Amino acid sequence: MNEAAGWMLPDAGHLAFHAWSMATAAAFSAACALVGSFLVVRRMSLLGDAIAHAVLPGIAIGALAGGQLGGPLVIGGAVAAALLTAWSTRLLRTAAGLAEDAGAGVVFTTMFAAGVVIVTLAAARVDLDPECVLFGSLELVAFDLMSIGRLMMPRATVSAVAMLALVAVAIGATWRWQVFTAFDTPAACVVGVPVAAVTALLLTATAVATVGGFEAVGAVLVVSMLVVPAAAAELLVHRMHRVVAVAIALAVVAACLGWLAAWACNTNAAGMIAVVLGGMYGLAALVAPVDGVLPRAAAGINLAWRVAREDWLAQIWRAQEELGGGRAVPRPMPRSLLERAAVWWLWLVGQVEDRGGLVRLSVAGRREAETVVRSHRLWEAWLGRHADLPLDHLHPPAEWVEHHLGAAVRQRIEAEMAGGPDPHGREIPPESG
Amino acid sequence: MTASFAGVPCLAVAFPATGLAYNTLVVLVAVATVGCAGGVVGTLALLRKRPLLGDAAAHATLVGAAAIVLLTGRRDLPTLLTGAAASSFAALCLLALIRRCTRTRDDAATAILIGVSFGAGVSVVTWMMARGLPGSGTIEQLLLGHAAAVTARDATLLAAVALATVLVVAATLKETVAVAFDAAFAAAGGWPVGLIDNAVTALVVLMVVVGLPTAGGVLVSALLVIPPVAARQWTERVGPLLVLAGLVGLASAVLGVLASIAWPGLPTGPAVVLSAALICLVSILGAPGRGLVARRWRERELVRRWAAGRLTEEGLALERGLHEPWGLAAGPSITVPESRRP
Repeated sequence: MNEAAGWMLPDAGHLAFHAWSMATAAAFSAACALVGSFLVVRRMSLLGDAIAHAVLPGIAIGALAGGQLGGPLVIGGAVAAALLTAWSTRLLRTAAGLAEDAGAGVVFTTMFAAGVVIVTLAAARVDLDPECVLFGSLELVAFDLMSIGRLMMPRATVSAVAMLALVAVAIGATWRWQVFTAFDTPAACVVGVPVAAVTALLLTATAVATVGGFEAVGAVLVVSMLVVPAAAAELLVHRMHRVVAVAIALAVVAACLGWLAAWACNTNAAGMIAVVLGGMYGLAALVAPVDGVLPRAAAGINLAWRVAREDWLAQIWRAQEELGGGRAVPRPMPRSLLERAAVWWLWLVGQVEDRGGLVRLSVAGRREAETVVRSHRLWEAWLGRHADLPLDHLHPPAEWVEHHLGAAVRQRIEAEMAGGPDPHGREIPPESG
Repeated sequence: MTASFAGVPCLAVAFPATGLAYNTLVVLVAVATVGCAGGVVGTLALLRKRPLLGDAAAHATLVGAAAIVLLTGRRDLPTLLTGAAASSFAALCLLALIRRCTRTRDDAATAILIGVSFGAGVSVVTWMMARGLPGSGTIEQLLLGHAAAVTARDATLLAAVALATVLVVAATLKETVAVAFDAAFAAAGGWPVGLIDNAVTALVVLMVVVGLPTAGGVLVSALLVIPPVAARQWTERVGPLLVLAGLVGLASAVLGVLASIAWPGLPTGPAVVLSAALICLVSILGAPGRGLVARRWRERELVRRWAAGRLTEEGLALERGLHEPWGLAAGPSITVPESRRP
């Protein structure tokens, strides 16, 4: 021990003490998010869950054989258990015709039960606490130090960072194959990508990432770190490298926030990280730019609002056309609450003038109404020529499409129709504005 | 122990004959009924292609159990299980919502629910422990199960709920099976598919909750998954499947409890799961129709007959409908019903 390392001694009040366990959580979460992105895209999330549970007997046997947590024996045992899980799930699918999730359910509960039995029966001989195995104890990692050169670091931190590096190298080296296999396994198979090896590598990486922070996070909470950041990232961005980057960023932020929240509330850090991740996913599901619930709802409401306004304007325009001479017409009856709001709005912005129950369009209102009616009648004309529909079947589709035709399309239809009235014999208004 | 728990006197009468300790008998009855009902309800979930519904439900029980202890201050088993059932049903509703409203696929949604709800539960329980609040120990027993702590009163409750579940399944067999096999067909036929789905979900939640005290939250889903998978190997019909799954659940429960008696220190929950896994393994290997061994044997037999040049005869026999229904890829797809055979 020397002065350089002195400030890193485990002192519960000290900043470094907390920094180490937070760094452990961040490194572990990042590794999980990296492999988890591929698991989520490949619809293997539940296999990830199964592996996270199933490494328990591997770890227990490795520890029984004299291995240290984070040592090669234990990691070897965990990887073997993970591969056994994947292999037997696959065997259950191909040989017993069992669905993937049912197979995973059978295998991982069995493995976990075996693990619990081994840990309980050998509790006296192995340094494995059933509680710790389930919940993890991120708070305690800084008590167990090892020296790397001149630096004293917690063993769990070293192990988590080492696993992160290992996983990053493995995935990075096979990146193109991984992405190809994830998105189109049959095509990858056809062009000669070793799909089985790529999958085995991904599963091994999952096992390695899982075991890296096993003692810190616990068996059951690993699944949230594998799946949640990736699922949230998948809602936010749509390219694989961005999904991975966003997932890792979310995981690191969640690890730090969750750790701080746990510290503030004096509770389990891994659990709080899972809760923060869940909150992030919920937020992403709500506000993601394209796929979020709120933007989609807003887009729907926006469209309905525009349709209501345009329909109202077109209705008055047609009534005025029938009456002729731009005279005011009796106000039609709004049919819905939305239409009532649209009527009020149009009057407020001055597109419709209302005098004692008689309404007429202002110049601005007329311009918009003419665009809608023009779209409507052009579409009827186009359908009448190309779709071979009877006259009374032209209106409904045009009523729908009139809100979506752009100026360019209108122009092309008009050029094709070479002027003239619509199929019902009414004049098509000219392009306004 | 009031008169309303009619099961207890029966146990008292039965136990001198078996040579088992009274407490053991209580545990045995509770675990056996729960195992049996788990197999039956699990079959419905498996047929509906949602085998891990129980897993999501089980992981979400912790937070509800903790919340109800915090809110009411009571920590008897019925209160805990009520809270557990409420939160796990809420979690499954959330799962349905995610499935409906987002692009997230089923597997990821299930995994998210498992991880996040369990994380919330762990956080709350740890917080309670750190504050020295009472009840955290009782809740922790629900995590890995603690069969020895089940009292006769609790056992009667668990057994009664499990039996009621089986009765509900039996009474609504036609509806649940129709929806499980082909939801689109059932919907087209005017069945209230959503309602029936919710009912099955509620049954799964009930089974998970009554399985908690003995098997524990992390392993209780095994009681819902493994027995149906094992039973599926032996039959192609849904009636026998339900009965068999119940029997497998019962048998593994009894085996597990007996094993944990014979081997002190062996926890009951994992022992039951491992017994079920053993039965499942035997079924997958040795079942006559779908079993691995039988299939391999049929393949080799086919090759042998091919080599002996008798395949033409076999083909003729098949055409006459005299052939055994099991083909190479055993399964209902190539089983020709009796009435359709030429």
